[in-house]
Amino acid sequence: MPDAQPHRYGPSLRQTLSDPLSSLRLLGRRALLALLGIAAGCAAVVALLNIGHNAAHEAIRTFKGLGSEVMVGSFTATPGTVTRPAPATLDTQHVKQAVPGLREIAPAILYSATVRAAGQAYPLSVIGTSHELEGVLGLRLRHGRFLSPYDQQSTYAVLGAQAARALNVGSVSNQGPVAIEGYLFEIIGILADHGHNPLIPIPVDEAILLPIEGMRRITPTPEITSIIARGRQSERLAEDAETLRDYLAPKAPGHTVQVQIPQQLLDGLERQARTFSYLLLGLASISLLVGGVGIMNVMVMNVSERRQEIGIRMAIGARPRDIASLFLLEAMALAVVGALAGALLGVAAAWMFVRLSGWSFSLSMTSLPLGIASSLLSTLFFGLHPARSAANLQPVTALRDD
Amino acid sequence: MELAVPNTGNNHTTALPGDNLLQLEGISHTYPTTVGSRSTLHNVSLSVMRGQSCAIVGASGSGKSTLLNIIGLLDQPTSGRLLLDGQDMTRATAHIRAQTRNQRIGFVFQSFNLLPRLSALENVALPLLYRGYGHTEAQRLALQEVTRVGLVNRAHHRPAELSGGQRQRIAIARALVGHPDLILADEPTGNLDSNTAGEVLALLQALNREQGVTLVIVTHDESLAQTLQRCLLVKDGHLLERYPNPVHA
Repeated sequence: MPDAQPHRYGPSLRQTLSDPLSSLRLLGRRALLALLGIAAGCAAVVALLNIGHNAAHEAIRTFKGLGSEVMVGSFTATPGTVTRPAPATLDTQHVKQAVPGLREIAPAILYSATVRAAGQAYPLSVIGTSHELEGVLGLRLRHGRFLSPYDQQSTYAVLGAQAARALNVGSVSNQGPVAIEGYLFEIIGILADHGHNPLIPIPVDEAILLPIEGMRRITPTPEITSIIARGRQSERLAEDAETLRDYLAPKAPGHTVQVQIPQQLLDGLERQARTFSYLLLGLASISLLVGGVGIMNVMVMNVSERRQEIGIRMAIGARPRDIASLFLLEAMALAVVGALAGALLGVAAAWMFVRLSGWSFSLSMTSLPLGIASSLLSTLFFGLHPARSAANLQPVTALRDD
Repeated sequence: MELAVPNTGNNHTTALPGDNLLQLEGISHTYPTTVGSRSTLHNVSLSVMRGQSCAIVGASGSGKSTLLNIIGLLDQPTSGRLLLDGQDMTRATAHIRAQTRNQRIGFVFQSFNLLPRLSALENVALPLLYRGYGHTEAQRLALQEVTRVGLVNRAHHRPAELSGGQRQRIAIARALVGHPDLILADEPTGNLDSNTAGEVLALLQALNREQGVTLVIVTHDESLAQTLQRCLLVKDGHLLERYPNPVHA
């Protein structure tokens, strides 16, 4: 007997790990194909998770840009009650007294109408509001002035930046009146670009803004669609929103009054982003499935081509578990290389997508471990069957194949 | 070819009177075919003493290779009992059978059965790696074996770079490296020219003679069979003792 017999039967860890690596060289181009499948699967998982993450990040960033003191109220007709119109005006001074936490508040009636200017007709959003909207939203003017408390009965209008471009209005001087539903309005101001904010339910840039009292000229039954307010302290926002809701509720019988604050909307958005991520994850799982089937295919071929080797190894003392681990570790080695390459590829693809979308890129920390781990698990799952079938071969059957 | 046999202190191979290494009791073997099953061995009983050399001859398809596979724990009998050194191996688990093959049996095949991508030395070291030896120790012991079969200068060549005789000597070194009690050879000279065949046979016989390794050889070659102590004939699945060779008896 050779001297110093080992205590434990079976190949050492080093042997267990190095054997599959040297066998991999045999696979050649086929290994590359299997690797490509896993890399594509992992890249899909990583890229999609990162794109989802960045999309959510971008939406949240936009929201946060608004400021955290804004709250938005809305009236929804309660189902099953006699439909009565929501209020058409709001005594903002009275609201501010009743809800002392509010710095400013502005009602808004959103309507859409055809606006005629210089003989051309344009479909535009019409917003009936008060002079307070300027302060609530922090609007800036490019030309002229905003609506004032004294404009309540006048036929003045302010154009959003996009709307001004659509109507081809460059300045307020030497600008003729515009017609909305047969009434003529004088343009007294043009807003600077305000930017889209998903939190604010009114499209200021694409609208023409009128004094809320004048909305009756445009529609016979004007109803406030939303109320936008700015609180004094962001920490007390939830309580102030509650107080505002309690104040508004009796003013709109038959309607459910909701006052939302950014946090709730942000939560909702995050939930939505998560749903989106799950959807992307579903897509990525399909890619992984395809990658896994690729690995399985290569392994089944590998096992059937190396039956004689299996037989020889068994004859000289390899146990079924040694054979299984040989093939499984070969697949895992392929998967590790494929997953790492795929992870890099996925990050690069997501980075490119995010930059092309004009967002700023931030890496999703969970995407890399999730992508790599799911690739490895998929390989383990699909590699188990071929590895077991190799291990369960009878030595004599395996050896007979020459 | 002569062997330089170092004293390895192998106690297993000391022949004692009545010391049965291998015992087969009523072994039968059938295998399933598309139209039912075919029987290859019928009620075969056999005892092989430690240190004996034994030839199994018979026509193609007579069942002699099946018999060798059953003795080598590569195949399982349908019925009967197989004892190796008094230990019943008939229903041993795949794990135990693998371990026993590694520690007690060395195989020499007609087609050499070396792993093509490993060097001669790595092929010889492989059984020791499965036994749990470290890489360096396994390589050291393998090199001793490769030196014994006279191929030390070819140790780092791949099997494809070796002649048939050299490959078979490497295969013998691999069978010997674990110091088995029993060497099973299936047509070991079948793929070799007569000169090389003679060398390989001399190597096996020297092992048997000088180290007391029990030798069971399946062969077609009558002249080879006559050089061994016993000759068994397998005919239609039945085992007949043809002779204890008069030269050796």
